[in-house]
Amino acid sequence: MSNNTQITVSHNDGGRLRYGFAGRAAIVLKTMWRRGEGKFTLIVLALWLVVALISLIWTPQSLWATDGYHVWAKPSASHWLGTDGTGADVFSWLMAGSRTNLLIVVLTVAFSALWGLLLVSAMVARASALASASVVVIDALISIPTVLLALILAVPLGASITVIVIACGFGYGLNLARVARPSALLAARSSYVESALANGASGWRILVSHIIPNIVPVLAVQLSLSAGTAVLAESGLTYLGIGVPSGMPSWGHSLATSVKLINVFPLTVLWPGLVVTVVVVALNIFGDVLRDAIDPVTNPALRQTAASAEKEDER
Amino acid sequence: MSVAVEGLNIAIGGTTIVADAALSIADGERVGLIGSSGSGKSMISKAMLGLLPLNATVSGSIMLDDMQVVGAAERELADLRGRYVGTVFQNPAASLNPVMTVGQQIGLPLKLHYDLTKDERVERVGAMLAKVGLAKEIAVKYPHELSGGQQQRVGIATALITSPRFIIADEPTTALDSMSQRQIVDLLTSLVDDAGASMLFITHDFSVLARATTRCYVLESGRIAESGATAEVLADPKTPESERLVSAARSLTLRSADGFQSAKGDSHER
Repeated sequence: MSNNTQITVSHNDGGRLRYGFAGRAAIVLKTMWRRGEGKFTLIVLALWLVVALISLIWTPQSLWATDGYHVWAKPSASHWLGTDGTGADVFSWLMAGSRTNLLIVVLTVAFSALWGLLLVSAMVARASALASASVVVIDALISIPTVLLALILAVPLGASITVIVIACGFGYGLNLARVARPSALLAARSSYVESALANGASGWRILVSHIIPNIVPVLAVQLSLSAGTAVLAESGLTYLGIGVPSGMPSWGHSLATSVKLINVFPLTVLWPGLVVTVVVVALNIFGDVLRDAIDPVTNPALRQTAASAEKEDER
Repeated sequence: MSVAVEGLNIAIGGTTIVADAALSIADGERVGLIGSSGSGKSMISKAMLGLLPLNATVSGSIMLDDMQVVGAAERELADLRGRYVGTVFQNPAASLNPVMTVGQQIGLPLKLHYDLTKDERVERVGAMLAKVGLAKEIAVKYPHELSGGQQQRVGIATALITSPRFIIADEPTTALDSMSQRQIVDLLTSLVDDAGASMLFITHDFSVLARATTRCYVLESGRIAESGATAEVLADPKTPESERLVSAARSLTLRSADGFQSAKGDSHER
């Protein structure tokens, strides 16, 4: 446990040792890294972040540099993944696209988390009218297909990121609420919530510091699934013309422009397809690995570090 | 804190749970409430905290010093809970939040009711841990890393950290083995006496009650069937309900008191 000594203990909070957010995150990441699939998902996601950042200042070719003499070109030194139908550099477009997809995923996850948790809290609140009707209402709402919702939204909004984020976030939020409801109810009716109530905690505090921390494992899995599905949905909706507007780089855009000639130039469509597949798989695994790493009950490293950090503190 | 319950009626969904219950606890007194499962013991304790289920109807009077709990505003009740009234729960493993460290758990009532700095809180939690006989290092552990007895000590520490004037112990020993039961009861009574607080000790086990309280009320299907000094009720139960509870306790205490000897005697007789 030589790693543990690097973690600095900042403050105690009611007897709790706080490593600060960074310290705790470091332990969780280390635990994830120790697993094979954890390495995979962390590398892919880190690469995604780095590429998205780099694309802000640099891409191998300008996005708008088209070359009429080299359309559908094979990979070469000047075009690492070849060119598309307008002679634009596929690699550059994929790099720039990673930015759009990252934005979509972050916004969708944030929106679905907020919306889902709002529903969950309404469902577990003691005096909520939603509490009894909730299951029926949510099951009914879940039956609305994301694509249909996106089509309706696209009428006033046109093709835009907003359409993807709202349509996906709405559906995923409902899903999150449905999946998280049982464990949230279990937490809400548990003895430790009763104990917190008997100690004078308010309903809001019960929700934020007792119920939500206890459903984090469910949230982690569900939100990372949502993130993966959002990447897929972006491709699908963009292909239908109601997702990312034309001219804005995204993986779905790269797929949509090359997929029509898949029989003639299969290699061009392979790249965006590969990127989407690898990222979606990584996102799905991410939640799984995160769930195991973030929970002090299943992750002994979080506890061991707590104990050794305490000794460190006393010295 | 003196407690006076008068004419307390509790009904849930039309079913009467507690009927015309009256009990009083003087300042600094330890009083027991005993009854078999489903007799309404816990409902009385919940009513004292204003934490009855939403569909419960309650009438009568519960006075904690000069505060009327029945029908009190939620804000006043929240101020009461954990600050002036501490609660020890039945199942320590379930009543500790699994994702909170022991230190956070014990510090919770302080955090909710007092404006202390983190360092002050940590200091008090450490002192409280020492009082309940636990090492200071336990503060960074999670509940599942502790034994049942240790968990209940944490529960007691949580209930007592704010030096409340009244402790409700709702079957605090039921989930424990007989060895830990005795230790926990002794610990709880000594801490309550040291603090000069009063206590309502709820249980279905007379052997525990005799150790923890001086006076007791026997509850039978929501009605107070008998009351008096614990030793007297134990020696000479007057109602069939108390008789049943006493005989159950007697057979248990005889075994544990005489230990090996009586167990041997039993096998000879057979």
